[in-house]
Amino acid sequence: MMDIDVPGHIEKVAELEGHDDRAWCVAWNPTKPVLASCSADKTVRLYHFSKTDADTENPSVTFVHNTTISTGHTKTVRSIAWAPSGTTFATGSFDSNIGIWEQESSDEDDEMHGEGVKTGEWECMSLLEGHETECKCVAYSTSGTLLASCSRDKTVWVWEVHPDADFECMGVMMEHSQDVKCVAWHPTEEILASASYDDTIKLYIDDPSEDWFCFTTLTGHTSTVWSLAFSPNGRYLASSSDDCTIRIWERIEQHKWECVKVIEGQHERSIYSLSWGVGKRRGDDGKGEFGGWLASTGGDGKINIYEIYEPPSSSDPKGREPPTHTLIATLPSAHGVHDINHVSWCPRQGYEDLFATAGDDGIVRVWRINLNGQ
Amino acid sequence: MAFSGALTLTDLNDYITPAQACIKPVEQTNRIEQDPGAASTQIHIDSSGSYYEVSTDTKSVATTVKKLEQAQISLNDCLACSGCITSAESVLITMQSHTEVLNFLSSNPSPLCSSHKSPVLSIAPQSLASLATSVSSTSSAPTTTLHQILRRVQAFCTSVLGFDHVFDTTFARHIVLLEHTQEFMERRSGDNSDGGKLPMLASACPGWVCYAEKTHSEMLPFISRTKSPQQVMGTLVKNWMGRNWGKKLSEIYHVTVMPCYDKKLEASRQDFYSELYSTRDVDCVITTGELELLMREKGWDLSIPVPGEEGEVSPSIYPSSPPPPLYPGSADLHPPRGGETFGLNGEEPPAHTSSAVQIPELLSHPGTSSGSYLHSIISALTLSHPFPLELSTRTVRGADYEEYVLTNPETGEVVFKGAKCYGFRNLQNVVRKVGREAGVQVGRGAAGRMVGGRVRKVGQKGGVNGVNGERERGYDYVEVMACPGGCVNGGGQLRPSVRAQVEKKTDEEGYERDWSGSGVKVGVGMDDGETNVQGYAGKWGDKDWTKKVESAYWHDLPTPPASPALESSEVKINGHGRSTREADRYAAIVLRDLCEPEILSGGEGLTWETHMGAIAEEKRRLHFRTQYRAVEGEVIGLAVKW
Repeated sequence: MMDIDVPGHIEKVAELEGHDDRAWCVAWNPTKPVLASCSADKTVRLYHFSKTDADTENPSVTFVHNTTISTGHTKTVRSIAWAPSGTTFATGSFDSNIGIWEQESSDEDDEMHGEGVKTGEWECMSLLEGHETECKCVAYSTSGTLLASCSRDKTVWVWEVHPDADFECMGVMMEHSQDVKCVAWHPTEEILASASYDDTIKLYIDDPSEDWFCFTTLTGHTSTVWSLAFSPNGRYLASSSDDCTIRIWERIEQHKWECVKVIEGQHERSIYSLSWGVGKRRGDDGKGEFGGWLASTGGDGKINIYEIYEPPSSSDPKGREPPTHTLIATLPSAHGVHDINHVSWCPRQGYEDLFATAGDDGIVRVWRINLNGQ
Repeated sequence: MAFSGALTLTDLNDYITPAQACIKPVEQTNRIEQDPGAASTQIHIDSSGSYYEVSTDTKSVATTVKKLEQAQISLNDCLACSGCITSAESVLITMQSHTEVLNFLSSNPSPLCSSHKSPVLSIAPQSLASLATSVSSTSSAPTTTLHQILRRVQAFCTSVLGFDHVFDTTFARHIVLLEHTQEFMERRSGDNSDGGKLPMLASACPGWVCYAEKTHSEMLPFISRTKSPQQVMGTLVKNWMGRNWGKKLSEIYHVTVMPCYDKKLEASRQDFYSELYSTRDVDCVITTGELELLMREKGWDLSIPVPGEEGEVSPSIYPSSPPPPLYPGSADLHPPRGGETFGLNGEEPPAHTSSAVQIPELLSHPGTSSGSYLHSIISALTLSHPFPLELSTRTVRGADYEEYVLTNPETGEVVFKGAKCYGFRNLQNVVRKVGREAGVQVGRGAAGRMVGGRVRKVGQKGGVNGVNGERERGYDYVEVMACPGGCVNGGGQLRPSVRAQVEKKTDEEGYERDWSGSGVKVGVGMDDGETNVQGYAGKWGDKDWTKKVESAYWHDLPTPPASPALESSEVKINGHGRSTREADRYAAIVLRDLCEPEILSGGEGLTWETHMGAIAEEKRRLHFRTQYRAVEGEVIGLAVKW
């Protein structure tokens, strides 16, 4: 029953069962039609998806289970991230290790299935050890040359990707005073952001002759910061928190970020995950630059989708306007009574309205935004 | 927080991460085998605070009440673990602090009393450099030398605090370098009776040793067994000097001043404790900051010169109680042996003044301000190789990670490959590199490790190709220090004062910049190449400040002798040949006194490289080498917080 008047609604596309425990994270392969999920059952599940019914206006997407990887991690696999090449993914685990996974070639690869999905077995090519306690998040930079990780030991690590699944430690930042929950890379530059139990967000850059270091700290949240998401063009950074708010920070100078918007009243409990996709523009109403779709979810089991418009660029620094946000779709109890731990937009072209969520019920669900009247 | 740089006293809070078990296993002396389904017990606390275990079995007629033993947590347990960090750690740290030193000095009986302890202080050269930098930054005086700072520290410690002797630790380091090089040569020749492996890793940094014991125990066989300069200084003060002073180990109270908090942990290791005399080689470690705090509390201005600070040791520094001479004829501990007539390389032992124990002061070892362990090995290899060798260096990533390669230019053969590796980040890479080359499974996370062999071994590239083989040659030696920038940037060093920071008008690259005026909005994707950020001061200290301390460390290098020396190559490599030869002679005296070798045949002079008899070699190991053990690392998180 729709009790909120919003221009769109969220349709379920697929329900992917199979995990024996809560599902923590979903990650879309950037180059292949593959969706990965990781879980407290210590496995990674891979699904292949494709469009069907190409004749209709709204083709449906079908998901087929491809493989289940018993990672060998001795505890929860808390995070998963694809490399931009799409041939490698990293897993971060509560056993404090990071696994780097690649697929073996098999004899059946001669006859390619679908859009080039391989059938070989996934192997752990490298194990990154260094964190002292649970690894909470792993993330590849857009160029794929760097991998960031963070942990309950309050550290943020930056690794450089080398050939043959070798990694070199480029920086160990001990800036946070508590558990670090999330790391995220800027979409076009090598700027790293981290979110922590100490209520702060820290931004890091590389000093070529020395180490990676923290160049600024963003304060404003009154409780744990759970998730971070840069806007597709990198002008904004969104953060979500235990304080039930989403803050949007704007880059106003080379190394200066300011909070320009607080979205509150939309979630009743912790907001565990954000994802900022390119989205689809609705009509041409001249509001400004279309800034994409921001998805949020959390402990209240609700999924919210906001449409973001950026203000026109202004040369007047004091007259800076905040971006506008409009709630275009919402779905309560998307995983029943369970928390939703992660939300992620599909980055592939032609799938801008597709996203997936992972919940405490152990199920991964795939959704699509249906804009009414389309 | 395995490294002292991250251990800041102002950063304490009582947040205890959930389910982080203490790594110290509680030793249960009387382990009672419980029957399955045995009755549970309750804990009662009486009025005096003691804990009692009371059986709750109502069927039993006799109720058993047992007093429980209180668990003890010592400093070395807590510092070795980066688990629950609470304010209790600050209480443990104060057990080794300047307050402890003052308490001892005030409660020390008079020299006439039999339980009097002779207080001795040893200070590290990095601490002197930190003090010199602080003095130079806060006063208008010209740059102060380490020599001057040492004289002022000596004056303060003797006249204000009441210490009998104040030394610097460079002579102890000289001995460490000799023993370190000896150990490396043993490993190279395949004499690994101690189980030592190549590449040999430096052992002077307690932060690194502690981290390896806790997290990378597979690295322990690679770590040198040679003691650190602090602990060798303890051996010198309590065993060698004490013997010559006619004092037992327990009759000396030895304090060291170090740039590092982890040196406190090192001093408290069981290996450096004498059960026989119930005393440690180093009784108390204070940091550079704690010494400076002491001076301020006592109203001592370190920037004011003291008389005679430009010259050599002045008898006036020890006005109150001149210690006995170095070789007391009446001492029973070490009676002279009648048949002992050997000279050191044909030279007579230098005559000693009767006013104080003399050891070489402020020895300069070319190489690094953290101790020059790598460079000493390079020097020894160059001297002992039959052909002239060529040294090339490569910066891997900044000054904290450099590679050194010795090549025979005649044949192109790589004779030696070493690295200098400072800082936690570079240390990670060296550990992985060493582990990969040695085929050792590197590390285990504190929360467990991967099950089974799912990690596939990546094939070693270029093994067949000769050129690639040379390029892929592994390290023979790595000088590892935990702190970025080395010991001059240790956690216990002085930090720049507020005044020094306010006066900084230029940015990190030395250019004046109008910070408030550079407010132009940078478009997305545009990069003007500016990577410096205003007000950057990382947790590992101000980089400008560290460079000043490093500069102060090397500031007063003495000029090489003007006349050409007999061994010109030695002078060229060591930079200060006369002082080195003198230190070598003193080291040989120490070796002879402590190890008591049998009389050498043929009148051959004793040097550190001499292989003495088996008993004497055993004593050498006892005095100058140590051992390591892995810390129990499996922490079971019963309720992991996500």
